[in-house]
Amino acid sequence: MLQVTTSLAELCSLLVDETYGELPSRIFSILLKKGRSTASQLKEYTAMPSRQLRHGLAVLQQHNLLYYHLDKPNGPAFYEANVEHAYNLVRVGKILEMVESTFGAPAKDVMQNLLLSGQTRVADLMAAYQEKIDRANNAKALDEELGITSLEDTDGVNGDSHPAKKSDLIIKSSAHLNSVICRLIEAELIDLCHAKTYETYDDIYETVEKEITATHFPGGVKGGKQKADYQKKLAEGLRQVRGESKSLKRKLEQNGLASKRRKIFQDLDLNGGVKQEEDSDPVLDPRQVIRVNYEKCSVELRSRRLVQFASDVFGDITSYVYGVLIKKITKDMPRCRLDPLVDVQGEDDEVNEPLAVSTDEILDSLKTSIDLSIGLGKPDWSKISAAATARVVEHAPKKKLHIEGATAVGDASSDEGEDSSDEEEVDGDYKPAMTNGVNGVNGMNGTKVPPKERKMDRRTQLRQHLFLLSESPQSFVRHSGPDEWTIDFGPVLTALRESELDAVIEETCGTQGLRLVHILRANGKLDEKALPNLVLMRKSDIQQKMLEMQRAGFVHVQEVPREPKADVKKSFFLWFCDVAMSKDQVLDTSYRAMVHCMQVLGTLREQEKDVLSTSKRTDVRGREQELMRKEYFERYSHFLKSERMLFHQLMKADELIAALRDY
Amino acid sequence: MADTQSEGNKAKLQIFKDTLYDTVQQHGSETRLFSQRDLLDLDVIPEDAKLGKLGLLLQVVQALCDDKLFIGTNSPTSGLAWKWRSREEAKKYTSLPDEETMLVYGIIDEAGSDGIWNRTIKLKLNMHDSVVKNCIKFLEQKGYIATMKNVEHPNKKMYIKANLRPSDRATGGPWFTEGELDIAFIEELQAVVFEYIKTKSCYRVPDGGSGVTKAPKKGVIKGTAPETNGEAARGVKRSAADISNDDTPALAAATVKEHSSAPRTGPLKPAFLPFPAGYKCYPTVREVAQFVNGSGLAKNISLGEPDIEKIINVLVWDGQIEPIKVNKRRGYRVTRPHKLPATDYATRLQQRQAGIGLDLPVSGIKPGGSGLGSSPCLRCPVLDICEEGGPIGPSNCVYFAEWLGLEDRATPGGPRIRPEQKK
Repeated sequence: MLQVTTSLAELCSLLVDETYGELPSRIFSILLKKGRSTASQLKEYTAMPSRQLRHGLAVLQQHNLLYYHLDKPNGPAFYEANVEHAYNLVRVGKILEMVESTFGAPAKDVMQNLLLSGQTRVADLMAAYQEKIDRANNAKALDEELGITSLEDTDGVNGDSHPAKKSDLIIKSSAHLNSVICRLIEAELIDLCHAKTYETYDDIYETVEKEITATHFPGGVKGGKQKADYQKKLAEGLRQVRGESKSLKRKLEQNGLASKRRKIFQDLDLNGGVKQEEDSDPVLDPRQVIRVNYEKCSVELRSRRLVQFASDVFGDITSYVYGVLIKKITKDMPRCRLDPLVDVQGEDDEVNEPLAVSTDEILDSLKTSIDLSIGLGKPDWSKISAAATARVVEHAPKKKLHIEGATAVGDASSDEGEDSSDEEEVDGDYKPAMTNGVNGVNGMNGTKVPPKERKMDRRTQLRQHLFLLSESPQSFVRHSGPDEWTIDFGPVLTALRESELDAVIEETCGTQGLRLVHILRANGKLDEKALPNLVLMRKSDIQQKMLEMQRAGFVHVQEVPREPKADVKKSFFLWFCDVAMSKDQVLDTSYRAMVHCMQVLGTLREQEKDVLSTSKRTDVRGREQELMRKEYFERYSHFLKSERMLFHQLMKADELIAALRDY
Repeated sequence: MADTQSEGNKAKLQIFKDTLYDTVQQHGSETRLFSQRDLLDLDVIPEDAKLGKLGLLLQVVQALCDDKLFIGTNSPTSGLAWKWRSREEAKKYTSLPDEETMLVYGIIDEAGSDGIWNRTIKLKLNMHDSVVKNCIKFLEQKGYIATMKNVEHPNKKMYIKANLRPSDRATGGPWFTEGELDIAFIEELQAVVFEYIKTKSCYRVPDGGSGVTKAPKKGVIKGTAPETNGEAARGVKRSAADISNDDTPALAAATVKEHSSAPRTGPLKPAFLPFPAGYKCYPTVREVAQFVNGSGLAKNISLGEPDIEKIINVLVWDGQIEPIKVNKRRGYRVTRPHKLPATDYATRLQQRQAGIGLDLPVSGIKPGGSGLGSSPCLRCPVLDICEEGGPIGPSNCVYFAEWLGLEDRATPGGPRIRPEQKK
């Protein structure tokens, strides 16, 4: 659950204000301040006429920014602010970009409309698009009649009333729209609204708990066995509620091997493929209400962030390989952070154990245009220890493997001892050993490609990249079995978080500050006097830096008196670095920075009101440079530049927050 | 009669003294402690009729101590024991004019190469200020002792025997020159160590990375080599259009885009590449130490492995290099080699002198991350009291105005920016 701080609350109401206007924002901020309230309470707090209040609540409800709960079927509804979704408003741009690059422009368009209009019935979405298509058809007909080519840019994206030419239409027919939605549902980026969507997790939990106690344990839960049973039932119930929104996806999956068929067409020409595809998708029930599933979106965004991280560490090709692997592994991952109650106990450890992907599966998904020989050094192959690569196989920290291959582990460690004596022929000796042992399943190293020929096939190259990833201290990848790869998200995300924190520290306190923080992280608590010896910095510099960082919240100090009298002069001063605390500090600072960015933007808008109102006139729009006075236009372009900078800053802060908090 | 006997005794004692002193010298260095048992076992002192063996030993040792040739010590572990002192040293003692000077000299001598603070001398001897001062003055004039500086306590006046060199603890080891941390030397050494590790731990693209697509075709499936390469070049261009209907490029999109731009624009070309996993030759601390000592960088200072390890640790903490273990061999490699600039250290130095790239570190690269640092809020000194409607708030923030490049613009209507707020 998100921890709502003052600055986060402020940020959220500002975001709501920015997107949906002042009325919903005021109600939202009151809800954040006062907590769960009924409509009549809200009326009192906001001093709004109930008509307005109802309007505001409707807007919030429409955009899923509100939870409600009914204690009794006919009682008053209690409203609560949905902070996660409000914060996600800042991420909308990123989500759209991600959707566009994954599923193409049509999907992005649909997603954008969905984001703009909140949860929507399929029928309404269809109707909106149908209208647009019709109008475009008419316009086209008109154009043909008059023989004029329209100069105006189409702005179909926002559902504006510009007539669009047929060729510029992103969604070409309702069947096309249907198939686009189907694809997004299959990817879990869109899910279904149901009655429980609007209840908080706690409410759902309580309801399920009550139900289970009433039906299965009327006499109360007693004994260990019953307790376990109760837990299991509870998790099941919760899973069931959660699964409801995925029912559409399941239906699609049952309907046929749509995804499989798609794979065949994907390599074919775009236009030819689409037609076939559209027919194969089932027509969605027009009464169903769909919405954007932010949880899955953040999984996708996390994958992108990790790829970027890998690219930062190793370069593009390796990170591309990593991206393919992540894609495979996160395909069915519903959310970034698994719920300990619902997810861990489920389905006999299947959810618990991360998916393992074989080398061949990755190889099959690699684009043929990617040249895997790039991106890795080409050393003298005698300097590469095959034993070390083999070692990676054995040392995979998977319990199952350790038990099975207990002897193999022992062998490996003795082998390493020999190998460290650096004999040249060692490699030749190791290959057969490896094939006999763990790698015997595929035997590719030993048989197909003798290493001495120094020619590698694509598969070996791929393995090289994967090995590089698994060798790194950031533990991007785990070589979980012979030719099987998996990702432990815990360690790699910790590394990501640390690197993000490091970047912030470096930017605020410089390299020396970063060095000090790393030392404290490596050594734990350190006396002030022990530091100079390690850091190789002047004592006065260190003291200054430490104070600076303490003020910024990156390091903390603890005073330990030497005597009961606690003489300050004689006390020890221990410095330490609490990552969790500094994380919270950075988060709060980032929220504030975001709030300030938005407020500055508001001030700027206020200042340039006259200019902006001119630019909004329909006759000026799109031709600002021609029609505005020079001075005005300068101010306008300056404002646009500032706005870009501020939004960019918002995005950066969000990236940091996402890495620290959400992934 | 008694006189001659005492004369004879004296002569005898002198002989015993000399033999005992010489034998003890043979049996160990100046720091070795000899207990009573050790001295008896030397078999120098015979059974004496009148005093007994022990009595005679007592007399001999007492005489040696009087001559300052023996130093008596009493430690809780080994009990009463003695060390020997060279004749020249002893002579220094005996040449001193009075008891006080001798005590002062003795205490300085005892402190050895760590030196001793003059206040400690006073405290230990419980003598008057002026007496100690006089003694020290005399000893300094004679050239027996010298002042020294301790890095741990730079303000304390310390004394040391003139013929000793201050210990590493007092001087701070090789990193200090004249009691000051030698930052320039350390930085230079860091850069050299980094360069060494860089050249040893990553692969340098042969032609300086002028064309990544031209890289050797080692890894291409036989027979299809030229096609594959050609496709790589084409594929990169095609990818943008491809993306729309492909299944995979969700993740690749960003990277492929980067990839396509990277090899084409000049400064982004990777000049270094990581070695494949299992590389056995990442340099170890020992290798680096050997290199540094062999290069003659530190002429007067000997840098041991622990010293080099310190430098390496600092580089690790700076995020420039990382330890990596291959087959129980702990080596070091640079982080993010593909981002390293192709220019080497010497060129960078020249560039810096010419004023190019002063904001970049001399060697290595800055740590990565999303980077929020350019935002004014992150390093704002008054962030805690900043709020809308307060004396300082986002709407009248000078830092934001500066950041957005608005500071010199008069804004009609809006709140005025007050330049005096600027720090």
